[in-house]
Amino acid sequence: MVYRDLQFFVLMIVSFLCVMSCQVRMPQIDWTISPLGQSDRPITLKLGGWGSSPSEQRLFQTVLTTFEATHPHIRVKFETVADQYMDVLKTRLIGDAAPDVFFLDSFEAPSLMANQVLEPLNAYLTPDFDLADFETTLLAAFQQDSILYGLPKDCSSLALFYNKQAFAEAGIAQPPATWDELLADAQRLTRDRDQNGKIDQYGLGILPDLARLVYLMRAFGGAAIDPQGKATFASEAALKGLNLIVQPYQDRIAARPPDVGTSSGTEMFGQGKAAMVIEGNWAIPFLQETFPALPFATAEVPRIQDQSGTMVYTVGYVMNRRSQHKPEAWELIRYLTGKTGMALWAKGGSALPSRHSVAQQLHYDRDPLRSALVAGIQYATPWQLGQYPTAIMNSFNNQFISAILGEQPLRQALQRAEDSANQQIQAAEQ
Amino acid sequence: MLKRRRRSHLTTPGIRTEGAGYLLMAPAILGLGFFTIAPILFAIFLSFQKVKLLGGIEYEFVGLRNFARLAADDRLWIALKNTAEYVAIVVPAQTVLALALAATLNAGIKGQNIWRILFFLPTITSSAVLTLIFMWIYNADGLLNQALALVGLPTYNWLSDPNVALKGIMIMNIWSTAPFFMVIYLAALQDIPRSLYESAEIDGANSWQQFRYITLPQLRPVTFFVVAMGVIGTFQLFDQSYIFSGGSGGPNNATLTVVLLIYQSVFRDLQLGYAAAIAFLLAIVIITVTLIQQHIFGQEST
Repeated sequence: MVYRDLQFFVLMIVSFLCVMSCQVRMPQIDWTISPLGQSDRPITLKLGGWGSSPSEQRLFQTVLTTFEATHPHIRVKFETVADQYMDVLKTRLIGDAAPDVFFLDSFEAPSLMANQVLEPLNAYLTPDFDLADFETTLLAAFQQDSILYGLPKDCSSLALFYNKQAFAEAGIAQPPATWDELLADAQRLTRDRDQNGKIDQYGLGILPDLARLVYLMRAFGGAAIDPQGKATFASEAALKGLNLIVQPYQDRIAARPPDVGTSSGTEMFGQGKAAMVIEGNWAIPFLQETFPALPFATAEVPRIQDQSGTMVYTVGYVMNRRSQHKPEAWELIRYLTGKTGMALWAKGGSALPSRHSVAQQLHYDRDPLRSALVAGIQYATPWQLGQYPTAIMNSFNNQFISAILGEQPLRQALQRAEDSANQQIQAAEQ
Repeated sequence: MLKRRRRSHLTTPGIRTEGAGYLLMAPAILGLGFFTIAPILFAIFLSFQKVKLLGGIEYEFVGLRNFARLAADDRLWIALKNTAEYVAIVVPAQTVLALALAATLNAGIKGQNIWRILFFLPTITSSAVLTLIFMWIYNADGLLNQALALVGLPTYNWLSDPNVALKGIMIMNIWSTAPFFMVIYLAALQDIPRSLYESAEIDGANSWQQFRYITLPQLRPVTFFVVAMGVIGTFQLFDQSYIFSGGSGGPNNATLTVVLLIYQSVFRDLQLGYAAAIAFLLAIVIITVTLIQQHIFGQEST
């Protein structure tokens, strides 16, 4: 009986191995049938991205409709991914089901550029496209070995958002210009209004996330990664920079959103639980819509060591290297990142344009709320961490939180995070 | 012996009967083969490979390197420790709670059916929805903290304090899975012959003694099932910690579980081979624990 079972089992294994190997060896058959009369039928391009607020979504749809009106031979199908965009996108790229053109966060760009899944755009560029009009730091985010793989769609830098009413109550006339002033102001702005021992208004709202902190390290000459792409944030310089956040938190003049029952820095600021936050352009429409009565203003991030610094985040349009419709895909990218298309999109106000000319055309450099953000782009640190960004970011964030909560000294936390990140990178590179 | 057997195997009536048997089993065999056995074999194959996924799929045989990497991976040990801690607390707690709930219902309280429905509701709710609701409750200003503050107990930052984040998931899961096992216990309780209790009563046993010496031993095979299923389910904790931490396993790896690590290896880092190696480690751990349990609970369980 045992013998027969065994025989049957072996038979089954062998047959499945056969089936599987057939599948692997099977030559790729091109199932796509070339359509007849291609010239008069519009081509459908797939554009991949993530969803945003309903008003932004509507605006983006308008931009696409305008594109279709001026390019009658192209239809654009905008596909949004609701959650975990990069996980979904990578899986689709592997399965050869990725859209022709898609959004790509600069943070994820290095690994995709290195893996040869993006179409180089250099050959498509024409002089009238005016590449020099783009902010150089933003273009650099999508360049590898002087090949351009993407064009920045828009960007956002960080600035200091402050509550004017809270400032008036505390008798502070001017927003802080240096980090020392920021801390002094935060001290005065931290209030326990009902004297119940629980602080109602913190001076500063912070996010202990590497994405928001690299410029602090840079202020003292530190960096998140070295030129080889390894984590290097356990340096003395980085430690000094990060202490600018850790110390005020432990002095209880700064708080994180979950400490006051909120889910984001903007919400914390909007509800008046923090008098100052360092947030990006996205906060402006959010605050105006959700907290219309909130009197707030913006200023450049306070100077550290007599140097200006902030972060800049950018998203670009990239083309799938396996796209079947490359010339049309380029037409779409050219329109969306061109002067007209970008102006249409940037008017919504949730992101800053990546072209100088568009920023000027929309007067963003003179807008009272946005001028601080526009000025920041010039000296900002772009948010990129090399080819293994998640390993570095997760290791840092995990250890940094425990340091900020006082569970371990900052120096030890950073060393652990750096070791763990580099160990993961080394294992991945093997 | 072997020779004779093979000959008899090849006779026409033999083939006909066996063939008919296999034909009848074919749908099940194919289904199992394609969706259970083939993936297992493929996973074994993968665990010895380094797979390049992006930009053209390439396999490279790396021998035992993926397994060697397991030993050196700090995050894997954190994940195993978290998962083991989770299993060690959740399985006994949910089993005891399930038994207690079942015993209460079996005692014939008023409105039995309504209680049964109320107890069972958490189990039929989607775990993703439950997690989102619990995240509201666990919020720093949420229901749980307000309730704790009201009775003068210390409040916690359930979502972002590494020391309590996993405990939050434990509480949630005990609450939502116990009723499922309660139903199983309830069915088993109703199977215990009344006569045993009657004779015990005549012998002068009180209700605790009846529970201890009749109910518990009679429920032994069911308890084995409940504990085994509980262990398997809890070792595979994924969705709750994924939603809790937004997929990162944070704060400070406090909610990192083995299955979440497998997910991260596949979809974040695109390291299929290493993920398959972790999956094997997890399978071995679960099999070992289940075998130990079977040993403890003895022969009746089979």
